[in-house]
Amino acid sequence: MPVTKKTNKQLFFNGILMENPIFRLALSMCPAVGISTTVMNGVLLGIAVLFVQVFSSCTIAAIKDYIHPRIRIPTYTLTIATWVTIIDLVLAAYMPEAYKAMGIFVKLIVAFAIITMRLEMFAAKNPIIPSFWDAVGMGLGFMFGMMTLGFIRELLGAGTLLGHDILGVRPLLFFILPAAGFFCVGFIMALFNYVELVFKRMKEKKD
Amino acid sequence: MKDLRLHVIVVGLLLLGGMLLAGCGAEHRFIKKISFKGTNQIEIAFAGPVDEKWAKNVENYAVYEEPDPDILLNITDVNLAQGGKAVILTFESDLNQTQPHLVTLQDMMAEGRSMGTALLTVKKLYFGYLFSILLGAMIIKNFVFTKYLGLCVFFGTSQKKSTAVGMGITFTIVMIASAMMSWFLYQFVLKPYRLDFLQIIVFIGLVSLSVQAVDTILRKVNPALFKAFGVYLVLVIANCIILAVPLILANSEYNAWESLMLAVGAGTGFLIALFLMSSVRERLELANVPPTYRGLPIAFITAGLFALAFMGFSGMSIF
Amino acid sequence: MKQIIRITIGLTISCLIAALLMGVVFTITAKAKKHNEHVQVQETMLDLLGYNGANPAPPDLKLHNIYRYILKDGRKKYLGYMIPVKEAGSLGYKLLIITLEGKFHELIDLSISPEKAIEAQERETALNEALQPPVTFTYADETAVAVTEGKRLAYLVRGEFQGFKTFITIMLAFDPNFRILGMEVMEHEEDPGLGGEIEEDYFEDQFKNKTFEKIKKLDVVKKPLPEEYRKYLEPKLRRTLTGEDLAKIRKMYQDADIYALTGATISSKAVTDGVKNATKKFAYRIEVLDSVIAEHRVAAAF
Repeated sequence: MPVTKKTNKQLFFNGILMENPIFRLALSMCPAVGISTTVMNGVLLGIAVLFVQVFSSCTIAAIKDYIHPRIRIPTYTLTIATWVTIIDLVLAAYMPEAYKAMGIFVKLIVAFAIITMRLEMFAAKNPIIPSFWDAVGMGLGFMFGMMTLGFIRELLGAGTLLGHDILGVRPLLFFILPAAGFFCVGFIMALFNYVELVFKRMKEKKD
Repeated sequence: MKDLRLHVIVVGLLLLGGMLLAGCGAEHRFIKKISFKGTNQIEIAFAGPVDEKWAKNVENYAVYEEPDPDILLNITDVNLAQGGKAVILTFESDLNQTQPHLVTLQDMMAEGRSMGTALLTVKKLYFGYLFSILLGAMIIKNFVFTKYLGLCVFFGTSQKKSTAVGMGITFTIVMIASAMMSWFLYQFVLKPYRLDFLQIIVFIGLVSLSVQAVDTILRKVNPALFKAFGVYLVLVIANCIILAVPLILANSEYNAWESLMLAVGAGTGFLIALFLMSSVRERLELANVPPTYRGLPIAFITAGLFALAFMGFSGMSIF
Repeated sequence: MKQIIRITIGLTISCLIAALLMGVVFTITAKAKKHNEHVQVQETMLDLLGYNGANPAPPDLKLHNIYRYILKDGRKKYLGYMIPVKEAGSLGYKLLIITLEGKFHELIDLSISPEKAIEAQERETALNEALQPPVTFTYADETAVAVTEGKRLAYLVRGEFQGFKTFITIMLAFDPNFRILGMEVMEHEEDPGLGGEIEEDYFEDQFKNKTFEKIKKLDVVKKPLPEEYRKYLEPKLRRTLTGEDLAKIRKMYQDADIYALTGATISSKAVTDGVKNATKKFAYRIEVLDSVIAEHRVAAAF
């Protein structure tokens, strides 16, 4: 893909809606299923991923001319691993409770295909500023996806939102259980599909 | 081929025997075996019959859990068995069998002669512990259905049974290779030099190395196999499990055998999960699924049902 | 060939830069991490004693940490207590070695201050200086004694035991007569909604005010939690009860057994047994320690 023709704003929204990493690209689903039990978890992991994505994209965009094509994958991995370690250490030091809630998933950010793919497809071929906006879009898309899941699961499972009691009772304990993560993602994906189908039909009707 | 199999079986049996004996902990020439019995008993088997007077005297025994040497457990009863060649100690409360217990037998008397004092360790069979790690990683704490890792690759390759099995086997091989290398590096390089924070980068580097190594070896050794499985090798890197296993074994400070068990369990568990999923998905292709649900959404819901089923295993412990 | 060399050099340099960057971040964050850990533990302790924002701790309240080690000298084993002692107006640490039978063995000076003693690494260095090989030591556990106005206010003990899934860590607070002041589940990996409920007030607070005699025989009852007891235990529902009701309910359930959590009998039993064992072991050990300290007139800070 050559240097992008989209404006920065378009890149930003692209990441959140049209190419939302969780629901459209179906990548990085592990945390989506595993720890989206509360909105807070989603926000925190989303921030971590945003951080890693933005910094990795900018780093790669900055040094893309010096990367030898044959070792580009190891280079991406190295960059991502460095930034993941840094945010892992920072979170462990300054937000220990949040860190414990997220468990092993912070360290596993390095294995998220989404980040590597984005670097390969975008940051390696575009200058710093567009890469920055693309990364922000993708990171926010991820966070948005996690928050939606967290919202549904926390509200229906524990009756709270961000720790505050909303319903006062626990409607369906099932939703806090990790297995529900699968169900929720499945349903939301179906929803996205449906919306797309509706749009397509509307477009077809117009023509 | 047959020779190789015979060798493997013999080595396997020897290893098994070694591991079985490892749990016995008998370090005195007069003691044949010491083990837990029931929930609140310890049985000691001697090489010859012991004097009843010595055996029935509760004062001759001192039993405590390894981390609490100052707290002696209360023995309520002593019984002789096997014609005087074994002694069964019954305790006031259930024994916490997850902790090794140290038993001191003071001045053992057999046929009027003193056999000395013995200090023995009782613990559950090590082999059992290893097996429980294996089973745990494979089923009870299945990495896909209970820990929700490795999902991207999971959904991508579970559409047909052949791809699923191929991916599973390739993954297991790379898993074992990289887990052992990670353990090695962790124990001998990262830990002694307090370089723990380099875990992520080192482990992922090892994974890439393993993938590359397996790729090259397979290409040269068995090209036919490579044609079948080679394409999955690249996907292994994107799999969260391959990084999760070294992180877990570093965190829990497993030794070499335990790491091996974890790696084998993780790989086989992934294979089982893939196989189950692909069997269902092949059927789903032929079923009448509503258009918005076709493809990934229904796959997720199926996975959710599997996850619920696997939850039934939670808390299970065999040994 | 030249290309390969260039690639290798490039990769190595990048790895080194990355490692350096991470090392810097690590050193900066390591201190903050340790500090946060200790602050959190201390906050939990104060909370268990009943002190919080609305009811601050008295200014002369001090938490003294006692660290227990198991010493091995050849085949013989000893208990080594690192205790804070008062000498010449300041606090220092000494190693009090007691035999397994509970008799005094040795008292060694340690060159470590209370602030440094919080770190396991520092304690190890101090112990290595004080003890000569072949004596080896392994860390066992630590207890905190809360002292105010020159008297002991409470003991804070940690317990770790097997739960339904993996380990559960708890912190118990006792008064000097081993009556439970509070129990807090610090870490666990139980199922959310089922075993995870051991974190809830209506389970943890059932242990409050149980006497030592009752704890030794504490058991789990598989019956649903009575409605009035639940109201008493949950802080939000408590407000609906009058002072009279509170006193009545407290008296009625004073010596009751622990009501198991719905769908989490094993977790409930694990916690109850864990509390029982931790209490019995601690009571035994602190008695031994106190008698040795009294006999040999050790100037303990507690």
